[in-house]
Amino acid sequence: MPCDASFTRRLRARVLAMAIVAFGLVGGASLAFAQGATPSAAPDTVQAAPATGNAPALLAGGSEAAPAASAGTLASVDGATTEPPADTRGLDEEIQNLKKDVVDLNKDLFVLEEELLFPANTQVAIFVSMDVGEFFAIDNVTLKIDQKEVANYLYTPREAEALLKGGVHRLYLGNLKVGEHELVAFFTGKGPNDRDYKRGATIKFEKGIGAKYLELKINDRQRKQQPEFEIKDWE
Amino acid sequence: MSRVSVFWARARRLFFVSAPVYALGIGALAAVAAAPYPLLGKEAPDFALHALVGSNVRLSEHLGDVVVVSFWGSRCGPCGTQLNALNSSLSTYASVGLKVFGVSVDDDQTRALEYAKGQSVSFPLLLDPAKSVSRLYVVDNLPMTVLIDRGGVVRHVHRDYSAKDDALYLKELRALLNE
Repeated sequence: MPCDASFTRRLRARVLAMAIVAFGLVGGASLAFAQGATPSAAPDTVQAAPATGNAPALLAGGSEAAPAASAGTLASVDGATTEPPADTRGLDEEIQNLKKDVVDLNKDLFVLEEELLFPANTQVAIFVSMDVGEFFAIDNVTLKIDQKEVANYLYTPREAEALLKGGVHRLYLGNLKVGEHELVAFFTGKGPNDRDYKRGATIKFEKGIGAKYLELKINDRQRKQQPEFEIKDWE
Repeated sequence: MSRVSVFWARARRLFFVSAPVYALGIGALAAVAAAPYPLLGKEAPDFALHALVGSNVRLSEHLGDVVVVSFWGSRCGPCGTQLNALNSSLSTYASVGLKVFGVSVDDDQTRALEYAKGQSVSFPLLLDPAKSVSRLYVVDNLPMTVLIDRGGVVRHVHRDYSAKDDALYLKELRALLNE
């Protein structure tokens, strides 16, 4: 009898343990399945991706392939349900108008966003410009306002070339309260004789009511054969 | 009760107590492995990084190309093999708009430099000492490879590498290049 009782106890314990193990495995597997089930939606996302990818091209309106692609997509959709229309000129015009509307809307939204996020009375904008660039090849600019780093920008050769062609890069756009502030800019790049070059420029400026614009100018100083860094306050 | 039977009774109890914990652990690991990549189907986050050799690279400047971003580390075994495989794909498909960038996740830049010198690849190997790009791309395993289409959307991700995967990589790359 005691033997039977111990056997039953052991059997019960074993069954209980197996049930716990099975529960654990089923729980884990169902968790894995629940998370893994989401990728089944991924192909839809992936299929939809090219349409999203074309959006910048459509907005820019610069790509020649974009209208053809969109027309092709529409044609294929139409082809699946009805026969393609005989004259697609009207449709093309409609698409072009729609694209123009989207570009206009995007522009308006951008202006509205800037006005809301950076009101004119607190707005501060910092620009970077470069002249000649014989003695300095720009690599990186770090900007500190009131000893707090607000921007750190790495320039690619293409961007540096754009600066040399007369382009002006808006490095920072933010808000500052009225009063005196200090701006420190660190320029990193290659100096004369292809040497690593790091220089800083500082300015203390008064922020009044109204937007403040500052320009970080990189010039070549021919007499010293060195680059020159200055900060210009656009009054 | 003999010592042997006491030992076996304890061992059995330990097994019964620990087995569910292990089972749950295995289940949780499987769940993590099956977790979907959060950037899949979304716009690839832009970045600009210093290259070990050559000029800086900004991802957004390559919109219109199919871009492969491979995250590697000097301590990662299969990373070198994968970088070589990507280099061979690049030599084949560079003319049709394939760009490859290798992003180092090493803390020690000297080590990364030494490792990079040992690799004979023709694409830029980039440094991410602050791990900002690795964080943006949710790198949780090495090597990790992200395939970005011509519209700048993350289309495929591979969180591991073995030579068997080459055929799949090529299939995906060809499909993206044909779009």
